[in-house]
Amino acid sequence: MISTGIIILDDMLGGGIPRGSRVLYSMEPGADGQLFIVSTFLSVLAQQIPCLVILPNTTVDAFLHDAAAMHGSAIDLSPQTVVFMDAIDRERIQRTAKTGPAREREWQSRIQKVCSEKKVEVIFAYFDLLYEDCGLKKGLALLDTAVKGHKPTIILEHLNLEGKTLVDRFISEFSFDLVITIQSAFPPIPQFSFFTIATMSWSKVRKRSIPFIISDGKIVPYIPRIVITGPAGSGKSTFVTSASDEGHSVDRQGVNGDTTTVAMDFGNIHGKTFDITLYGTPGHTRFDPLIPSLLHHAMGVVVVIDATKPATFSRARDLIGLLAKQWIPVFIAANKYDMKGAVDEQGIRSSLGIPGDTPLFLISAQKKADTHRVLKSMVDHITRFSY
Amino acid sequence: MYSYKTGIPQIDDVCGGFDAGTNILILAPPMSYADILAYALIKPLEGEYAIVLSTNERAAEVVDAFRLSGADKRFIGVIDAITKSSTPTIADTQRLVFVSSPTDLTGIGIKFSNMIETIFEGEFSEGEAGLFPPPIRFCVNSVSTLLMYRRLEVLYQFLHVLTAKLKKIEGVGIYLLNSESFDDKTLSMIKQLMNCVIEVKVEQNTSYLRVQGIRGVSSEWLKFSVAKGQVTIIP
Repeated sequence: MISTGIIILDDMLGGGIPRGSRVLYSMEPGADGQLFIVSTFLSVLAQQIPCLVILPNTTVDAFLHDAAAMHGSAIDLSPQTVVFMDAIDRERIQRTAKTGPAREREWQSRIQKVCSEKKVEVIFAYFDLLYEDCGLKKGLALLDTAVKGHKPTIILEHLNLEGKTLVDRFISEFSFDLVITIQSAFPPIPQFSFFTIATMSWSKVRKRSIPFIISDGKIVPYIPRIVITGPAGSGKSTFVTSASDEGHSVDRQGVNGDTTTVAMDFGNIHGKTFDITLYGTPGHTRFDPLIPSLLHHAMGVVVVIDATKPATFSRARDLIGLLAKQWIPVFIAANKYDMKGAVDEQGIRSSLGIPGDTPLFLISAQKKADTHRVLKSMVDHITRFSY
Repeated sequence: MYSYKTGIPQIDDVCGGFDAGTNILILAPPMSYADILAYALIKPLEGEYAIVLSTNERAAEVVDAFRLSGADKRFIGVIDAITKSSTPTIADTQRLVFVSSPTDLTGIGIKFSNMIETIFEGEFSEGEAGLFPPPIRFCVNSVSTLLMYRRLEVLYQFLHVLTAKLKKIEGVGIYLLNSESFDDKTLSMIKQLMNCVIEVKVEQNTSYLRVQGIRGVSSEWLKFSVAKGQVTIIP
């Protein structure tokens, strides 16, 4: 197995990429995912596996500088297991070979020579210009026929301007073993990036999108913020406190002796591979102007209602209407479902006017297991949510 | 909807300027100073931002051009696609970013998106806040150079994404294309992505422009000059 250099991805792939595979990192325009192939390259370099890196759109110096900037430290080429072919090579080929077929032959000859002399086991290629110069089939064939009798692992990065159709061609027509699409949302939706395993030939994986950030030169999964909202007194602060490993609430005593949140609740849950941050909004309408700013960068919202107080459902309905204008998943958590007078699920759905596919959980906000059940499902939902 | 003032009374007086989300092609022959016209049209007014994708001039030269026209450089970002080929180790700053060459559409797309995000996050201008949502003027100088490095079909797809993003954030885009170096098919395809075309010509040392595609604005040829980032229509 070849490690991708990305822990979560290696986990999802069952340890890494099997040798001899054909891998595509397919980048949507604007998605900040260049670190994927760079991480895999650095991992191969660290394992001292002989490799060829084809960079038709840049020079080796510029590539190494950019890779070091992305990774956060200089690239150590001392093992001398890597050979580069860069924009200067492409220029030479363009200059000396005048026709398309002649250029293809020249590319193929050079690649084969390097692969056999250096016993290359992995070929990294920035594929855009090879695709443009030779076409998809011939461009891939240049890499395929590189070493006779020995099948190197091929790892491509490609700017996908053709969408799903092209991804499907890589999978069905060219039998790529692993295709990972890297996409990002764009303002005014809060910008975040996510990757999706579109296919993996050696194991079945449920298709899901994993949001990520780049931190200290590494790709790490990231669920930035889940907002807990709902009518006043519905149990939002209890939910946040109960769910969090640590957190605090800014409360004051209400006129009837209850406490009420006057700023926001804040909590943190430390997961195995990422942290979740919870923000609880105050429930009173006068605090509604705060909600849009709390929703900034939020990736999911839990609306907590008190199932025993149907009089507050209209307020919840208003909040759900407000959230419907946002492009984020919304879950409903019906607190105190086990208490006398609680409205049943059907009654809640009907009162709130929510469709059957909106997730609704019957919970006790005081029970950590209940709150975690909601959040676990929310995270699962977020990572598959179609943005 | 936000309107981007042009400084050209024949446009601003009729419709208040360019509508948010408008993409404009400047079609001009070589040596017609169309880049000066483009920079004048994207010079950010108070509260606005400007981003230039430069394939012809270094970032420092672009910033200088705006500084001389009186623009506040804290509101101007440049995606420089030429400096890195001669200075591979040049590092990005908040507002000046570099891609390896005009072929590097991946890098251009990423730097563009990141710059937009930085503006939306309010982290672009050293604490100076512009308007929100931020009005952004964007210029590609030039599509002609990009076309020399990438195939028309590829560039069309890329510009399709870019123009759509500009619309989504309600920005305004200005794209420079040499009217004499490309065939009709190329001009036609690039025009398909635009809402408006400004044609430029030079006759006997006098520059003329003609606006097509803005309702109510005359498509007559108008004499013009540009000084300090201000377009003046000469009667």
